[in-house]
Amino acid sequence: MKKEHIQHLYWRAAFGINPKAMQSLLDKSRKSVVDLLFYESSNYIPLKIDTPEFDTLTFEEFNETKKIHRAYIEKSKLKVKELNHEWIHKMSFSNETLREKMTLFWANHFVCQDRFILYIQKFNNTLRQNALGNFKDFVKAISKEPTMIDYLDLKQNRKNKPNENFARELFELFTLGVGNYSENDIKESAKAFTGYNYNFEGDFVFNEKQHNYDFKHVFDKAGRYDGDDIIDIVLEQKQCARFICTKLYSYFVNSTLNQAHIEDMTDVFYSDYHIETVLKYMFTQDWFYSPEHIGTKIKSPVELIVGMSQIVPVTFKETEQVLGIQKMLGQILLYPPNVAGWKGGKNWIDSNTLMLRLKLPSALLSDGKIDTKVKGDFYDSFSKYYENRKGNTKIKAFIDWDIFKTNYEEVEIEDLNNYVLQSPINKGTLNYLNRLSKTSKLDYCVQLMSIPEYQMC
Amino acid sequence: MDRRKFIKNSSLASSLFLVPSFVNAFSQMVTSETGYKRLVIIQLSGGNDGLNTLVPFRNDDYYRARPTIGLKKEGLINLDNELGLHSSLRPLKDLYDQGYLTIINNVGYPNPNRSHFRATDIWQTASDSNQYLQTGWIGRYLDHFNQKPDAAIELDESLSLALKGDKLNGMAIKNPALLYKTTQDPYLKNVSKHYQDNHLNEHNLGYLYKTLIDTKSSARYIYETSKTYSSNIDYPKHDFSKQLKTTAQFINSGLNTKVYYASLTGFDTHIYQLNKHKRLLKVYADGMKAFVKDLQSKDSFKDTLILTFSEFGRRVNQNSGNGTDHGSANTLFVIGGDLKKPGVYNNLASLSDLDNNGDMKFEIDFRTIYATVLKKWLHVNDQVILNKSFEPLDFI
Repeated sequence: MKKEHIQHLYWRAAFGINPKAMQSLLDKSRKSVVDLLFYESSNYIPLKIDTPEFDTLTFEEFNETKKIHRAYIEKSKLKVKELNHEWIHKMSFSNETLREKMTLFWANHFVCQDRFILYIQKFNNTLRQNALGNFKDFVKAISKEPTMIDYLDLKQNRKNKPNENFARELFELFTLGVGNYSENDIKESAKAFTGYNYNFEGDFVFNEKQHNYDFKHVFDKAGRYDGDDIIDIVLEQKQCARFICTKLYSYFVNSTLNQAHIEDMTDVFYSDYHIETVLKYMFTQDWFYSPEHIGTKIKSPVELIVGMSQIVPVTFKETEQVLGIQKMLGQILLYPPNVAGWKGGKNWIDSNTLMLRLKLPSALLSDGKIDTKVKGDFYDSFSKYYENRKGNTKIKAFIDWDIFKTNYEEVEIEDLNNYVLQSPINKGTLNYLNRLSKTSKLDYCVQLMSIPEYQMC
Repeated sequence: MDRRKFIKNSSLASSLFLVPSFVNAFSQMVTSETGYKRLVIIQLSGGNDGLNTLVPFRNDDYYRARPTIGLKKEGLINLDNELGLHSSLRPLKDLYDQGYLTIINNVGYPNPNRSHFRATDIWQTASDSNQYLQTGWIGRYLDHFNQKPDAAIELDESLSLALKGDKLNGMAIKNPALLYKTTQDPYLKNVSKHYQDNHLNEHNLGYLYKTLIDTKSSARYIYETSKTYSSNIDYPKHDFSKQLKTTAQFINSGLNTKVYYASLTGFDTHIYQLNKHKRLLKVYADGMKAFVKDLQSKDSFKDTLILTFSEFGRRVNQNSGNGTDHGSANTLFVIGGDLKKPGVYNNLASLSDLDNNGDMKFEIDFRTIYATVLKKWLHVNDQVILNKSFEPLDFI
């Protein structure tokens, strides 16, 4: 498989790849490279942080007094932040890179938020466990997660007073997309999801007393349906497979859609709703490697942060800082803007986020400084700018330059851009880069990571 | 706008751009001489419950629909013996008494959408309910009237669709000093200087470069201009009032910007609505009070129009969780120092004659309000921006 294609596959299906790891893939076929990618992700290793104060907690202890309850919630909120930090770390260093990428994808599909650590951690692992599995099982599992039951008010969905929030988002965001259902389908389906609840341990509980056992009229069918039945009925519609495949295509291939390719994917996916099958199909098609797709996607903030670690491993030391960076870039994991999640693409970019994106690599890797020395130039023109800088908060992180040196040992400094960047370089910028005095591979790496082209994958 | 006025406006604007350090001396003149109109848009995100914001306290249907969350007459601020403001909105009553507030009821659009995401897009793009537009109405205002990105500023870390045009985007700015400082990095300055614009603009990468170049020039202008004014007014401690404070700083320093966009989130009150809603409305009203005072201190209030909307109202009937589900038509606030029809603009729609979903029927299309503001306040051709003709209202 060609170097450019391996890099493209790894940027889309994972978070990038370094030249050393790529070496053994160069003489393999596309199929075996893709197979290997799935093989490496066949393990499911849950993300777990230490939660000693919650592990043996009972409902009575948790709610002993209002004050105690509030204190637990505050502790829990800190733990959710810690989970965010550990998730970033897991994506950066896990061997199951495809599974982690898919977990990230699904987290922006089944969008949820929770301040109780055990439930949100459980939810996150349900995403991870089902990330490459069967979509039907996945949707059913999601509908029974305490975090989802809370987030979309399923607990308030009672026999005599239905709450439509979950039913609406199930159709609009999780399975069919806007315009493919009626208001009546929502009202009727909400009845089927009555009685959904969970116990303090986070296990799903079906409350028969609150369930509406009446007939429900949904999508030209009628029956005494429950929630799982509704999911079965919805997935019978090819539109559901099409909706998911459109989203996969838009995320992994290009936000400019090719309907013919999406229809082909839909046929594959509709046959058994197996996620792994449709992904494998997508990653092995010729069109997936078409030049118009390579290096043309704007990285999400998380792809940017995690992707940097594939070049120079970064271990953040302070949770608040990891969250702060995500906040400034416009994407805090576990804290979505709303139930529709992040829009992505150009939407990531505005004046502020772009400047921060360009400054982030140097802030992490070179104390905020980017060298501007050109060939034969001994005068440090940039030092003046940095002289006047007053105590910027330094990001506390462990930067493993040794790994970079090992992984990029075989790469000539003049060739470094072909490994760090996925996008062709603008002509003017390339001229400028060519004039720089490339004396250090490390400095040049930071310079490359500080141009707009590095924002692309 | 007539031609003479236009030339006067633009020549002043460009001289401001060239000599930012003299802005302080000019700013008074700009506001008083050219009557530089600004629009401030405030979005209450999540779907504000209009019926518990402006309460029809003489209507039995209201209390029947809301047995536990209906607001009692005694706690309300009486406006006209029919409608009462929520107790958190005392500052709005003061504006009402001074003729600075117009309340427009039953604002919506045909076939309302009840998804946050979609309804927000509809309001922000000014589309029909079944129409999907990729540009916002303020973004198209920038596009068509050839404004610079800094003509529209959102006081946030990210930019809403409302401010995204086809060729031009507005800017998202929370902290002008920080943005300026970042753009002064020597390496990044070199990169943006060397960039060659060879038909890359359509693509994502071209978009990044264009944003970089625009940001650099606008950040300098905004920073240099806005630092000439600092407010003496006490604002409540909340992110929302911080947005308003920065907006006032921009306006009072004479910044060329025409549209500001701020937002307050959390109005999605499906459960235990009462306390949460009370808190949110207080944040809104207390922020507005300080904001108006700040503008008045520099005499810029009369040239400022503040529009407050939410993506939808909420269901008339409360739900089982002591909250309300997504509804449709809603009440909209217009605040300004130069209103033609202050007070309650139109009667609240019936609470017994509801649509199939149990929601109030809309009377005024939200785009007639946009059209009014574009035509009568910003003095531009509203049809070009809205792609449709709407009969303007007469509140301004």
